[in-house]
Formats: sequence, C-alpha cells, structure tokens
Amino acid sequence: MKIKLNGKEIEADGGKSLLDTCRENGINVPTLCYHASLFPEARCRVCLVEMDGKLVTSCSTKPREGASIITNNEHVLKARRLNMELMVPQPSCKKEDDLEVCGIYEEVGMRTARFASIKEYKPDLGAAVIRDNNKCINCGRCVRVCADIQGVYAIDFASRAHNEHVTPYSEKHLADVACIRCGQCILNCPVGAISERSHIEEVVAALDDNEKHVVAQVAPSIRAALGELFGMPAGTLVTGKTVAALRRCGFDKVFDVDLGADITIMEEASELLRRVEKNGVLPMITTCCPGWILMMEFFYHGLIENMSTCKSPHEMLGMLIKTYYAKKAGIDPKKIVVVSIMPCTAKKFESTRPEMESGVDYVLTTRELARLVKMRKVDFATLPDEEFDPALGISTGAGVIFGATGGVMEAALRTAHFLATGKELEKLEVAEIRGMKGIKEGKITLNGKEIRFACAHGGANARKLMERKDDYHFIEVMACPGGCIGGGGQPIYRDPDTLRKRTEALYSADRSSKLRRSHQNPVVKQIYKEMLGAPLSEKAEELLHTHYVKRDRF
Amino acid sequence: MQILRQTKLEALEKARSLGSDGVLALLEKRGLEGRGGAAFSTAKKWRGSRDAPADERFIVCNADEGEPGTFKDKFIIRHNAETMIEGILIAAYTVGAKRCFIYLRGEYDYLRPRLEGQIADVLARAKMEGVTIEIVRGAGAYICGEATALLQSIQGFRGTSMYKPPNPTTCGLWGKPTVINNVETLTCAAQAVLFEDWNNSLRLFSLSGNIKNAGVYEFPLGVRMSTVIDVARPARKLKAMSFGCFGGIMPVDENMQITPEAVCRENCHHGAYSVIFIDEGNNVVDVSYSIAKFYTYESCGKCTPCREGTIRMLNLLKKIRSGKGVKKDLQTLRELAVHIQETALCGLGQTCGNHVLTSMEHFPKDYEYYLKKNEAGESKEKK
Amino acid sequence: MCVGIMPNRDERKRKLLMNVLHEAQEKHGYISEHMLKQISMDYDIPIARLYGVVKFYTMFHTEPQGRYVIEFCGSPSCVLNDGTKLEKFLEAELGVNVGGTTKDGMFSLYKTSCIGCCDEAPAMLVNGEPHTKLTVERARLLLKKLCGAHEAKKARKR
Repeated sequence: MKIKLNGKEIEADGGKSLLDTCRENGINVPTLCYHASLFPEARCRVCLVEMDGKLVTSCSTKPREGASIITNNEHVLKARRLNMELMVPQPSCKKEDDLEVCGIYEEVGMRTARFASIKEYKPDLGAAVIRDNNKCINCGRCVRVCADIQGVYAIDFASRAHNEHVTPYSEKHLADVACIRCGQCILNCPVGAISERSHIEEVVAALDDNEKHVVAQVAPSIRAALGELFGMPAGTLVTGKTVAALRRCGFDKVFDVDLGADITIMEEASELLRRVEKNGVLPMITTCCPGWILMMEFFYHGLIENMSTCKSPHEMLGMLIKTYYAKKAGIDPKKIVVVSIMPCTAKKFESTRPEMESGVDYVLTTRELARLVKMRKVDFATLPDEEFDPALGISTGAGVIFGATGGVMEAALRTAHFLATGKELEKLEVAEIRGMKGIKEGKITLNGKEIRFACAHGGANARKLMERKDDYHFIEVMACPGGCIGGGGQPIYRDPDTLRKRTEALYSADRSSKLRRSHQNPVVKQIYKEMLGAPLSEKAEELLHTHYVKRDRF
Repeated sequence: MQILRQTKLEALEKARSLGSDGVLALLEKRGLEGRGGAAFSTAKKWRGSRDAPADERFIVCNADEGEPGTFKDKFIIRHNAETMIEGILIAAYTVGAKRCFIYLRGEYDYLRPRLEGQIADVLARAKMEGVTIEIVRGAGAYICGEATALLQSIQGFRGTSMYKPPNPTTCGLWGKPTVINNVETLTCAAQAVLFEDWNNSLRLFSLSGNIKNAGVYEFPLGVRMSTVIDVARPARKLKAMSFGCFGGIMPVDENMQITPEAVCRENCHHGAYSVIFIDEGNNVVDVSYSIAKFYTYESCGKCTPCREGTIRMLNLLKKIRSGKGVKKDLQTLRELAVHIQETALCGLGQTCGNHVLTSMEHFPKDYEYYLKKNEAGESKEKK
Repeated sequence: MCVGIMPNRDERKRKLLMNVLHEAQEKHGYISEHMLKQISMDYDIPIARLYGVVKFYTMFHTEPQGRYVIEFCGSPSCVLNDGTKLEKFLEAELGVNVGGTTKDGMFSLYKTSCIGCCDEAPAMLVNGEPHTKLTVERARLLLKKLCGAHEAKKARKR
C-alpha cells in the first residue's frame, strides 16, 4: 500500500508494523520495552509516531492505506520525552554503567526531570542475581524473557497501578524460588535494576594479599566478547589481550578453561560410550550449564538420572589447579585462590553448591572483569597479545567452541568417534548443530551403531526438546540463547546479530587451532598419565564428577 | 419503564423464526447501539463476530458496571434478569456461539445466587442445544469493564488492557471471535427483536450526588435538564454535573436538551448516562480530587503515561487543595492530562484527564480559590 | 490475542481462574501461600503468574482477614453525601487505618472504588453484602449488631 513517511510517499507492507517500516526506510524510532524475539506489548509508549495526526505506538500499529506518518515533529518528540520523563527514577548515566536507557535519553533529547520517585522497595540480594525494584521502570522485558524465552517464569508483575512491581511469588527472594540464575533478565534490563552480585571486592582483596597465589581461568566466551566493553566491534577475538590484562591486574597465573573443557570432553565422551555400550540411562544430557542443571533440578526430577555426572569445565579445572598444579608448582593449595572469568551468572551459584566440591573460589562475569580492568587503570586496547601460562594453558579448538550452542556436542563427537573407533572423525565441523536455530539435531554412526544427538539453547527450546528426548542418545542444552556467548554475564547487546558474530569468533579460533580434538591435547594426556589414570577412573570420579538434587519448584 | 418489559422467551422464538440474517437486519433497522458508553452498532458487532472465520465463538455479557455513579445494570439484573439472559441467547443464536459468559463484578456478588437460578431456569426452558452461560466473578478492578482487560481476566491473566487491533470481535477469548455487550444492550436486544413499538430513543439514567431522589430513571434523548432536575430534587442549587468519572464535568444548564451533541459541545461525553450532581456547596476541585484518586488506584499499571501520570495528577491536585499550589502546577496538571489522553494504551487512560481539562475549562474560579489560598499564605509569611 | 505463556495447554477446558480463586478464598477468607502452590500444581499455572493475578485484584487477599471485611466506597457520589464523615467514623470507632485489621480479628477495613450503590449513598459492603444510606448513627448500630451477632454465635457454641 502507499503511505507517506515524513512527507515522502513510499510503498509499505500492510502486514508490517510502523516500527519495522520506519527502520527499513532508515528512520530511527527509539524503543524501550520492545524485544525483537517477542510480540510487542506496547507498554512503555516511547516508540510513538504520528499517524494522520494521532499518536500511536509504532511497534504495535500497522499502517492504514494512504496514511501520513510523521516521526520527527515537535508533537511526537515532546510526547516521547514526557513518557521517558515519567519513568522515574532516571539513573545517573555514568559511561561505565552501560545502561541502555541512557542511550534512549539521548535519542529522545531529555531536557527535564520534574517528577520524583515514589517507590520504596527492599532490594533482593542473592548469591548470583540481585534486584532493586526502586530502579525499575516497569518495561516488563525481564518478565517476558524469563517466561517466554527461558520458559522459567520465576517473576511476574504483581499489584496494580503505580504499585505494579516485578517479583517472584509471595514477594520472595529470587534465591528462594525456582530461578535458574541464567541472568537473561540482567541482559534485558535497560536500567540495571537487575544485576549480578559483584565479587570484585573479594577478588581485589585476594589480589592485594601477598600471601595468596591468585589464579585466573578464562572461559572460551570471554575472548569473543570482552573487547566490546572496550569499544571494539562485536566478534573481535581478544584472547591475547585478555591474558595480558589479567596479568596487569595482578593475577599470578592465567589458565585457559578451554583445557578444562578438553578434560570434560574426555570424561563425558567416555561416559556416553559406556552408557551406550552397557545399556545405561539414555539420552545422556550435558551438565556444563549450571542454569540448565537448576532447570532440571527444579522442573524435571525424572531426568536427574539422565544427567551426565561430569562437572563443568571450570569446576574440573578448578579442582586440577588445587591438586595437579599445586603439586607441580609446589604451592600449598590453601594459599591458592581460583577466580573463574565466566560469561555466566549461574556459575556464581554453581561454585556454592553443597553437592559440588568446588575448587573455584570466586566467579567474575565478563562485565565484572571489564570493571576490574578499568579500576586497575589498565589500557586494554593497547595491550600486547600474551599467552596463557603453559602449565594449564594449552587447549584445542574443541575446547574453545564450548561457548557456542552445539559446541559441546561437536567437541564430544570429535573425541567419541576416536575413542569408539580408534579413527579420527574426518568431517570435524558438524554443520547441522551449528547456528542459531532453537533446536538442532543430527546423527553419527559409531561402530555400526547410529547415535542420534540434539541440542537446544534457551529454556523454552529446551522444554520443547525434552518432550521428545527419547528420540536421542545425547542431548546438549545451553540455558542461554546462543549458548554461553549469550550468557547472563556477557556484555549487554542490542543487535541480535551480535550472538552470531561472537560465535563466528570462536569458530575461527577453532579453525586456526593447531590441535582441534580434545584427546590430542598434550597437557590433557599428561594429567591423565600422571594423576587421573584414565577417564572415569576412581580419581577422576573423585575430582571431576558430581551429583544432583531434586529441588522443590516452589 | 420500557427496560422492565419482559420478553418471556418469545423474543428468542421470534429470532429463531427470523434466522440470523433476519435478526441482524431487524436490529439494524431498530438502530440499537451499545449502552455501555461506546454506542457501537450492535448489529455490526454481532455480524463481525459471526462472519469472522473461526471454529468457535463466544458471547460475553459485561456486567462489570464500575463507572462511579452507574447502577443501571444492577437495576436490570435485579428486576429483569431473564430478559437480559434471553438477549444473551439471541446473541448466541445469531452469532453461532455456544459458550456464553456473564462477567459479574465482585461488588455485585450478592446478586449471583438469584441470577444463577434464573440462568438455569431460562436455559431449561429455552432449549438451546449445547449453549451454556457461566458467571465469571470479578474481584474489584474497574479496568476489567474494559473489553480487552475483561477478556484477559476471563482467560486467567491480570486484567491489563491490550492494544487494538486485534479487535475482540474477530479475535477475542483464546483468539476466537467474541461479542462483548453491556447488560442493558443485551436486554434491549431482546426487547428490540420482539416489540414492534420498541423505542430506541429511551435511555437509562443513573442519577446520584447532591440530590434527594437518586435512582435509575428512563428518559428520552433530548430530555430537558430542568425535567431531570425536577425529578432528582436537589436540596441546594446545582452547580455542576459529572458524567461518571470519565465523561468530564460541566455546568448545569436547565435549558439544555440532553443529547450526545449538546454534551459534546461542553467537551464532555455522556457515556452510559450516569450523572453525578454537584451543588453550590462544593468546590469542583475537591470533586476532581476524588476522581483523580479513583483513577490512581484503578489504572491497570501497564502503560507508562497512565501508571505514572495518574498519581502525579493526584499529587498535584493534593498540593493545590492544600493551599500550596502555584500557577505552574496548573500548567503541569493540564500537560499531564492532555499527554495521558494522547498516549495511553486504553480508554481508561484516554479519558482519565477529562475531569481535569473540563473542570479547568468550566470552573476556573474554583482553582483560583485554592491558588489564592497559597498567595494568602505566602503574604502571611512575608509579613 | 495474548501471548500464550504455556502454549501447549488447552486452558479452555478447565475451570476459570477467577472462580477458582474466589472459591479458594471462601475457605478461610484469604488465599494462603499453600493454596497458591496447590492451584499452581492443579491448574498448571506458573506460581509467579498466579501470584501476580491474585495481587492485581483488590478483593483477593493473601493475608488472613477479620471476621467482617468492610469495604466502604470512596467514589464521588458517596463523598458528596458525607462519605468522608463515614470514613473518619469507621477509622475512629474500629481503631484501625484503612487497609488494616482490628487487633481482636473482628474487622478489616478497606476503602474501595464505586460499589454501585450511588443512589443510596454513603454505602459499604460487609462480607460482600451491601449496607446503604449510612449515617454515622446507622453505621454505629450496624457495627454493634455485627459484634453482637458474633457474641451470640460464640455463646451458642458453648
């Protein structure tokens, strides 16, 4: 149909929203409660445009034939400003806080702040995710992401009118309800009303303590995203700079969690093959994602026996740091402080699980690391590329792709094929489990037996996959959309394409790796030779495996 | 009163003989419009739901009468429920619906036991195969009288308004075409189908406020204000009248003939003809304050302008009434009222500023009275 | 029309939530946390959403209420008919602020929006039953009667 857009006559698709039509024609309309993967709710009333003189929300309105749309006159701009002004309180907008709402203030041209806040809520503090309703502007993104994308539904709006607020049931703390600590709510909060519980203070205390030997271990996802917090484009691989930055911050050693991932693969591939051969419980479901573990413990009690008993890579490596490395380096393990740099908020909870004997002392998210680096006045962009410390720093391409959805599965298949058949898997890149599709599947033949596998990312997709779990032998689930590169501790992203760019960085790191299969890692071989013996040995079970509990979902 | 005429299942019988198209044509001829305040053509609404492609349709009788000053639907439920029920069945027949609901506000729950008996009785006699009428019990939310919020409530969600389109008529309960009609509309539908002499110009007025004879009255459109006042019997001279909370406050003009056009000329809306009379012993700003309080607590809370704007308007009125208001506060109050009107998601937000704008327009002296109080206070301090 | 939260469930076949909540509340006068959990399990509704629904409506309570729940109208027609006098009387006589419950557990006091008794203002609901044309005197007598009825009931039980 023909419409007029800011005076210019254009051809518009009557089935598209005015917001999409404006964007396609290069016109920017500010949005706040809008989420690209969800139905528009038209709650915030910031995306206003004029249609034939009347103000409408562009996210939820489709064009009329012959309508005149204006996006930039004083009527529209004033209305947008007043709605932003009514969202109280307005945060102070320091650059390092990186709040989405501050960009919107600039877009709409905020001038006045006449209204005072009337909110008086108690903050909700926890081990991983903390909330402060006094900062909330009721955009509802956290509620809808938790419900529709994650399928968890830990929070919703309660009460009415100006008393409307986000809360778990019965005003409980998030830590006391079925919340999987995935942190997707944090990524979607434009004002930082939800954030991660910070452990920077504790880590700094350890770094400044001369008695302590502080070790950092870096997850694969960090290297694909940390640069964004220092002005680099999404998808810039900054492995070397990350290592250098950590050293400048005062860490005594910097290890690579990808090595832990390689060890996880040795254990997990062996566990899968044992279950397949000995008619064990199938499908086997991966457990490197603590958010997914919580989801199973809360909502899928019957699947606990399907879960792999393997710890996650940083937990495995954490134990090895305090045993294998401590012995090799001649350091008293009690003096070692292990800090995991993770894209994940659930890992803050994971290392406190009583069921998990953990070698990890603190978890810092990618965002926290950036804050620490800035605090220590390290100029990230000008750092040289440095290598991980070799004691526990060699890794393979299989380890680095753990950060992408499908990556754990792919890495496991590369090694499972070798362990089962003695021959290397030729087609290393398993295309059918790469990419952003919610549920991916494939099959492989090992010694004449067909093994069917599937992966899902995002809680809602995981729930869908669980409905047909018995179709498969091996299932990988990442609670966060995109996998760990989209984790709750990663830099907040607006452009959905960011996830694809970060993933590509990891896959390119895999392609340029000398070694691309976990079982080829010389340090891994050495650790098994010197300490563990073989995968699933008694020593391996003691250090590298764990168990799970049924949790009441109320 | 015409509204009390009983149709005794004869209207349903006639509807069946006319057929669905016949009923729609007849209602069109009679000119029946919705009596909940929006005055939308009933035939057009029923036709829209009937003709939208779907495998299931629903009828909802909106008995969530919550507009302050309105009690005509309660009157009908008490005195002519069976005709209303018959209206629901005629709608179900015409539209092709089986499952019908009556959303009865929680504050009228004491009417439910008798109503349930009447529903069972009428259904037993009506012989409509597979048709059910369920009462859904409201629980104290004015916004659930708004069509989209009402449907949210029935479906087990918080009663928040939803943007339109999609329109409930074609996409309502569980995504299916849903007719939502007011109690009076459905009662009139049955009467309009059956009675050849049915008079479409009669309206039910709910009169209350500073009058001795508050109650439900039937007047024809165009009735002179003096006639209404004579019936209502105020104790003192009347100053103003408010159409519920939403319609706006205007001066009482004894010579005015009450028509939609005449009311519109005062920048007000008649709605469901609920008139709250205010006598000369009152300052209109005080009435505005109690209206603002109503909106502040009845807003569903979903959209920014209404959720945040209503309480800010209330606080400004509080400030003005306390004698601390200044001219700038009036400007901000007006700005908020217009802004919420223009950018709110639903009818509640779009009308919650009417009382402010009309009271400022028609009764500026009442506001000045409070502003002068501040100036007096200030000059006392200066001394 | 609305974004399905549990898209696989055919909610239409089940009882309507508003009625389920009313019936639950009728047992003890309020909807306890235990009841929330029960309804959440029986109707497969996420408990966070259920709590959000309960808290949306002013007539649903999540805390124990007094034996008599008084909801007096605060809307314009009642205010114009000395409603504020009634409000002040009730607060003083019962010794509670609006929103509170008396220490002896007899009365909970709430101010509501229009209850539809504008032609007999001022009015209030007591346990859902309307009491209208309430001068201060009539209100005083009503409260006395309610207390008396309670005492008589207690006496009969002995």
